[in-house]
Amino acid sequence: MTLPAAPLKETEPSKETTPVSRRRRSATLLAGCSLTALIALLALVSLVWLPFDTDDTSGGRLAGPGDGHLLGTDKLGRDLLTQLMTGARIAVQAGLGSVAIAALVGVTLGVLAAFAQGWLDDTLAAFLDILIAFPTLLLAMLVVAARSATLGSAILAIGLAQSAVVARLVRILVKRVLARDYITAARTSGTSWPRTVAAHILPNIWPTLVVNLALQFGLAVLAEAGLSYLGLGAPPPNASWGRMLQEAQATFTTAPAGALAPGILLVVLVVGVNLVADGLRDTLDPATRRRRT
Amino acid sequence: MSKNSRTRASLYGTATVATLALGLTACGGGSDGGSASAGTWDKNATVNIGSLYEPQNLDNTAGGGQGVTEALNGNVYEGLFKLTDDGKVEKLLAQNHEVSKDGLTYTFTLRDGVKFHSGKELTSADVKYSLEKVLAKDSQSARKSNLEVVKDIATPDAKTVKVTLSKKSISFVYNLSYVWIINSEAENLKTTEDGTGPYKLAKWTRGSALSLDRFAGYWGDAAANKKAVYHYYKDASALNNALLTNAVDVVTSEQSPDALEQFKSNKNYKVNDGDSTTKLLLAFNDKAKPFTDVKVRQAVSAAIDDKKLLESVWGGYGKLIGSMVPPTDPWYEDLTDVNAYDVTKAKKLLDEAGYAKGFSFTLDTPNYDPHPTAATFIKSQLAKVGITVKINTITPDEWYTKVYKNRDFTATLQEHVNDRDLVWYGNPDFYWGYDDKQVTQWVEQAEEASTTEEQTELLKKVNRKTAEDAASDWLYLYPQIVVASSKLSGYPLNGLNSQFYAYDIKKKG
Amino acid sequence: MGRYLLRRLAFLLVSLALASVVLFVLLRLLPGDPANALTSVGASPEQIAAARHSIGSDRPLPEQFTHWLGQLTSGDLGTSFVSSLPVGPEVTARLNVTVPLTLAAFVLAVLVAVPVGFVAAYKRRTWYGAVLSGISQLGIAVPVFWLGMILIAVFALNAGWLPSGGFPQDGWDAPAEAVRSLVLPVVTIALVMGASLIRYVRSATLDVLGSDYLRTARALGASFPRAMWRHGLRNASVPVISILGIELASTLLGAVVVESVYALPGLGSLLATGIAQHDYPVVQGVLFVSTLAVLLIGFAADLVQRIIDPRLRGRLSGGAR
Repeated sequence: MTLPAAPLKETEPSKETTPVSRRRRSATLLAGCSLTALIALLALVSLVWLPFDTDDTSGGRLAGPGDGHLLGTDKLGRDLLTQLMTGARIAVQAGLGSVAIAALVGVTLGVLAAFAQGWLDDTLAAFLDILIAFPTLLLAMLVVAARSATLGSAILAIGLAQSAVVARLVRILVKRVLARDYITAARTSGTSWPRTVAAHILPNIWPTLVVNLALQFGLAVLAEAGLSYLGLGAPPPNASWGRMLQEAQATFTTAPAGALAPGILLVVLVVGVNLVADGLRDTLDPATRRRRT
Repeated sequence: MSKNSRTRASLYGTATVATLALGLTACGGGSDGGSASAGTWDKNATVNIGSLYEPQNLDNTAGGGQGVTEALNGNVYEGLFKLTDDGKVEKLLAQNHEVSKDGLTYTFTLRDGVKFHSGKELTSADVKYSLEKVLAKDSQSARKSNLEVVKDIATPDAKTVKVTLSKKSISFVYNLSYVWIINSEAENLKTTEDGTGPYKLAKWTRGSALSLDRFAGYWGDAAANKKAVYHYYKDASALNNALLTNAVDVVTSEQSPDALEQFKSNKNYKVNDGDSTTKLLLAFNDKAKPFTDVKVRQAVSAAIDDKKLLESVWGGYGKLIGSMVPPTDPWYEDLTDVNAYDVTKAKKLLDEAGYAKGFSFTLDTPNYDPHPTAATFIKSQLAKVGITVKINTITPDEWYTKVYKNRDFTATLQEHVNDRDLVWYGNPDFYWGYDDKQVTQWVEQAEEASTTEEQTELLKKVNRKTAEDAASDWLYLYPQIVVASSKLSGYPLNGLNSQFYAYDIKKKG
Repeated sequence: MGRYLLRRLAFLLVSLALASVVLFVLLRLLPGDPANALTSVGASPEQIAAARHSIGSDRPLPEQFTHWLGQLTSGDLGTSFVSSLPVGPEVTARLNVTVPLTLAAFVLAVLVAVPVGFVAAYKRRTWYGAVLSGISQLGIAVPVFWLGMILIAVFALNAGWLPSGGFPQDGWDAPAEAVRSLVLPVVTIALVMGASLIRYVRSATLDVLGSDYLRTARALGASFPRAMWRHGLRNASVPVISILGIELASTLLGAVVVESVYALPGLGSLLATGIAQHDYPVVQGVLFVSTLAVLLIGFAADLVQRIIDPRLRGRLSGGAR
């Protein structure tokens, strides 16, 4: 690794002034929330209203916009907007479901691992490191082999894979908290450890945790799209964005709308959620708050 | 034999669809060789063939699958007979054959001067060995059950093989076209080869390509190109991209109409619409309620608008069929009028069967196109007559275990690839459980028939009876589309039973 | 250091052994019949039984396990159920695609991400700092297969500069072709990997820029480049290296999506086919080799971190704790 020479002549950066960074922070959060809300809205509306029936193939193959089809149709004559809207629902479902699993399993494992000592501690840490290095995909393939390709399988696989990441983080965070004096005091004074966890540890780690879970949401959405692209996610005819992209691949040059729209929405959702995470980090995380303001 | 591993789902493409075949002659449609542009061509060209069907291994008696037939049949291995691209059975390694009066003894005289790629000369012992390999206990050959009529194989001299059957079998010679003649001393046949064909195997790189080199010692006309390379893709888009960027010269079988527009409008390519034998079936479990009732099956068949389905899946390609028999089988009859699309009639039939208020069933649907599409379509069609369809999407592997092996299904979608596979309806143990004593008897009699006319007559009866009984619902016949660079000529158009002879392909320089 | 290395090696071997056993059992617990891949519609029950017998899946589990273990100890990864090809050479063939692909993408990503991430942090209040952050924000949100589709459409189908996919059958014996076929896949992975690296580098740099020791060093008269070089880089690189290790390891198998888009015969696609066909020897072989790779990469990352930051010495594993 080498350092770039050019930009190093300036003086050391001064601390950001509070009003500016606060404004920027809220701008980030606002932008993130708007983008996320846009997709969430698509997903919510799809629950009560869709332009066309999802199975309605009356539109004609790969028709352009018109005839009530705002964005045209896919290769089976289904309305593209309808597909995109149900796709939004699947994406949000995948994100929420995976993060819920990751939070539940990850926090539990992480807290338990944090209390471990000596070789058990080392082993658990190393084990989590190994798990993290194995991609979600591998787990997904195994889950699918065990219980068939459904959205549920994909969510389970993604959630479990992310549990390792969350557990690793939680373990580090909890260890840090455990080292503080008041915890030692609480523990020596005979407070039971579940109580310690609830009263002292969780309140201390949740800001960082929430930010991380928000990032995991974005990753989960991408992972589900990837799995669906490989045929390991929500089975057809469910309109997962990943699958829509896979199907539109053959007609990329002749009917680009179907190959671009789902990708754009994916980017919008993931960027949105990541911006929310960034905004939250600056607002919630005590460490960065202390340092950067 | 599998045409299952089709699109994205090819990660999971393992279940296979085979055939049972009868009869000697088949009047096939279509002519040998695509794009008859004459002119100068390069005798030492390399032909790059793009395919979605990689062999699983190189032995067609050990589960090599559809890919091994496509790449090796006729190219590397030859039988005593060959099945031409338009469905005729011709002599290949057999110079001559005689059938005894009782139809039980076949005497084959072998062609002279045939050498295996290893250099050894072909003898009757190799033929005996090859037949026994198909009949062996551990053989996975799809022809094993058809050839089990073989009682004895004798080799009176090096050039003569005498096969005795336990009963008459009019399709014996047809079935022999699927028996590869292999050097009896060859080893490791799953990963290497020793056949007599116009090419020898150069290299198989699993997951990527299989290349064939012209065999200098071939007994017949030398291959029209020096090297044929089959490039394997798991994904139709990647395959079409390869054709668009000239990484391959020809695609053996297009599986969707999506990419065809861009080839049709480009003079550098030729899109060939050949004759297929692949049928898409809505296969009822005829032993499971409510499909035990003929009227329910007829009602479901009449409630689905096949024409509209075909249009939405294949655009302008493909054909409608009214039974299991494609137009290229000798016993074809147009039965599209039987149980044709008629919602009023469907409702009436349901009423008569006691399902006036409809019913609900689970449709086991393989997870790759066109099955999910067809399932969605069927669901919306049957909703109109009060039938609720629950779509259960499964992988081909699950399909094979659940539907084929365990018969644990009510109805399923499946493509059946091969020609002459009507006769499965004569087997009451087959997965769809169609059991009609008369049909079983007709199929048996047809196989033991003395003449092809007699056989054809009997199978026509089977055809009509199964159609009237709506034993299954035959949704449509696939098109067989070969897209090739316009530099190419002489490639097979029909790809009958997944064969793809490469030796006549000429490439302009 | 010597004792550390020994402990680390022992740990590596134990992990590998444990992972192999767990994997063996796990795979056998999956529902599904490995013989399915070899049989076809129309197969009789006898043929199905024969298929099971031929691959040995009808034998008791302990027997299968000792058989596999016996092979493994003599350096043999076994034979594929489906193709009957030996697994070892096949894994090697796939590594010949996947390792260059992953390493090239990794190096490219690091070369781009480190300077860009540094600038994005150091110049975060200028317009181009913001633009760089924005681009990386976009980069981590783009699905890798979609990026691949777009690159193929632009550079292969439209411009015709590069192949749309595939790998030459002769492999690296046809070096020019092999390199050409890897350009787009490498760029695809590098862009996505680079985008997330930029963010790590940026935040690590921000941490260093705000740190007391950098201020102290500056106060003691060190020039900024010198202070940064001596103190900043060292501190910033420790967490980044740990991330790099994980990224590199997970890309080995995670490249399967890109391999699929570009029709590359890589390790990931071998694994995918293996799992789908219940071809256990292949799955075990791939996972054995990749577990080994993961452990070795983790080991290497750890070692590098230790050399950079002496404070970490004395711990058994990862510095990112």
